[in-house]
Amino acid sequence: MRYEDIRNMAFAMPLFSPSYPAGPYRFVDREYLIITYRTDRDALERMVPEPLEVVEPIVKFEFIRMPHSTGFGSYSGASQVIPVRLRGRPGNYTHAMFLDTHPPIAGGRELWGFPQKLAAPSLKVERDTLVGTLDFGPARVATGTMGYKHKELACSVVMPTLEEPGFLLKILPHVDGSARICELVRYHQRDSVLKGAWTGPAALSLSSHALAPVSTLPVREVIGSLHFVTDFTLELGEVVHDYLA
Amino acid sequence: MKAEELRKTAFTMPHHSPSYPIGPYRFVDREYMIITYRTDREALERVVPPPLEIDDPIVKYEFIRMPNSTGFGDYTESGQVVPVQLHGQTGGYVHAMFLDDDPPIAGGRELWGFPKKLAAPTLKVERDTLVGTLDFGPTRIAIGTMGYKHTALPAGRAEQALAEPGFLMKIIPHVDGTPRICELVRYFLGDVVVKGAWTGPASLSLYPHALAPIANLPVREVVSAVHLIADLTLNLGEVVHDYLSVEALPFRTVLSSKLVDT
Repeated sequence: MRYEDIRNMAFAMPLFSPSYPAGPYRFVDREYLIITYRTDRDALERMVPEPLEVVEPIVKFEFIRMPHSTGFGSYSGASQVIPVRLRGRPGNYTHAMFLDTHPPIAGGRELWGFPQKLAAPSLKVERDTLVGTLDFGPARVATGTMGYKHKELACSVVMPTLEEPGFLLKILPHVDGSARICELVRYHQRDSVLKGAWTGPAALSLSSHALAPVSTLPVREVIGSLHFVTDFTLELGEVVHDYLA
Repeated sequence: MKAEELRKTAFTMPHHSPSYPIGPYRFVDREYMIITYRTDREALERVVPPPLEIDDPIVKYEFIRMPNSTGFGDYTESGQVVPVQLHGQTGGYVHAMFLDDDPPIAGGRELWGFPKKLAAPTLKVERDTLVGTLDFGPTRIAIGTMGYKHTALPAGRAEQALAEPGFLMKIIPHVDGTPRICELVRYFLGDVVVKGAWTGPASLSLYPHALAPIANLPVREVVSAVHLIADLTLNLGEVVHDYLSVEALPFRTVLSSKLVDT
């Protein structure tokens, strides 16, 4: 192997069998249960990094099924997403994310800076209820429930949210343990196709866990629920703030 | 959160609940089964990056139980290590690694550059045999077996082997998909206490898998086997070659701890 080969091949580890392929990353039939809740403003402001601004003390808890995902496979996720503003423009800051498959964890962390850990999320229909769960090891840390397709929503209600940018805090250490990368990243979804959207009665409970502290943004009141199915391409990102500069 | 506070506390993701703690990373009762085998020189030369050099076409296939690991927990690992030299210094280049636990995968990749994937390795005693297995999803891709503690080895020999450095190819992309980090990393184990070392008859089978291509370094002959138990500390590393700077400095490498032109 020559030096030039390494530079040309270098994308991800392992060099000879990268943990994730180069994109584009297309998701087909990606299904969401999103329960929006009010939390404590103090707790939220401690978590959201400048220059992002908290608009209202609101968190979206998402349970996601991704049955057909280019390069990543068939897997599930759960995340806490915080509606924010960057210089007056709205977006969504992903605060925590849990997945059950390794390529999107390695790629998500190393490419974009998704704050992902390995756990056991699920999203499925149980008779009359859409049920999302998140287990961390043997402990259940989140349960979300929603009446199944009680009320259909117009695409025009949901599409604007899908077009908002996502924000991430990408942090990676140097080999000596010092901070090598500490950046605020912005990304978009493109070529979104909404295949259906619904709302209905919903509930969410979060439990404490040392390594999956979802309940440190406590549920004070459930204020909305959204179930939808979509296709989209997850674009690569751009650095909007470099904290080490 | 203030930007200043973030800058001071930034270590890894998620910032409010890091996937792995800051070390030191101490391993207690770490148990290895290492089966050394001869492979094809051409296959090996294709995968070992310069400036590392190989001598004999040898691979060490490892199964490792780590029941008590600071910050990482109780987990198991399996992988391939290639004996190499860097400017005359002998060491082991870690070519592939498979673990069943997320913190050491994330920390291993992001801190040092260990080429780790999530899979299901095991190492255990089954009556008379020490058995190591590696499953990737539902597929078994490696089986190593060894007679249990047939012949004791002097602890000094195992200590000598564990004193050699490890080498890693750390690659991390930028957010636009271009390479951000592409470095050869060297690390050492510290405070090694060998609690026992043995050898015995051994065998190894590797099977092909699209995402875990360990059989690309085929087993031509089993050369030797070691079973050992040790306490040790996995030290942080140092960059010994930066592949992205090579254009500017064609043979820039790091000897000892400072940059020199060779």
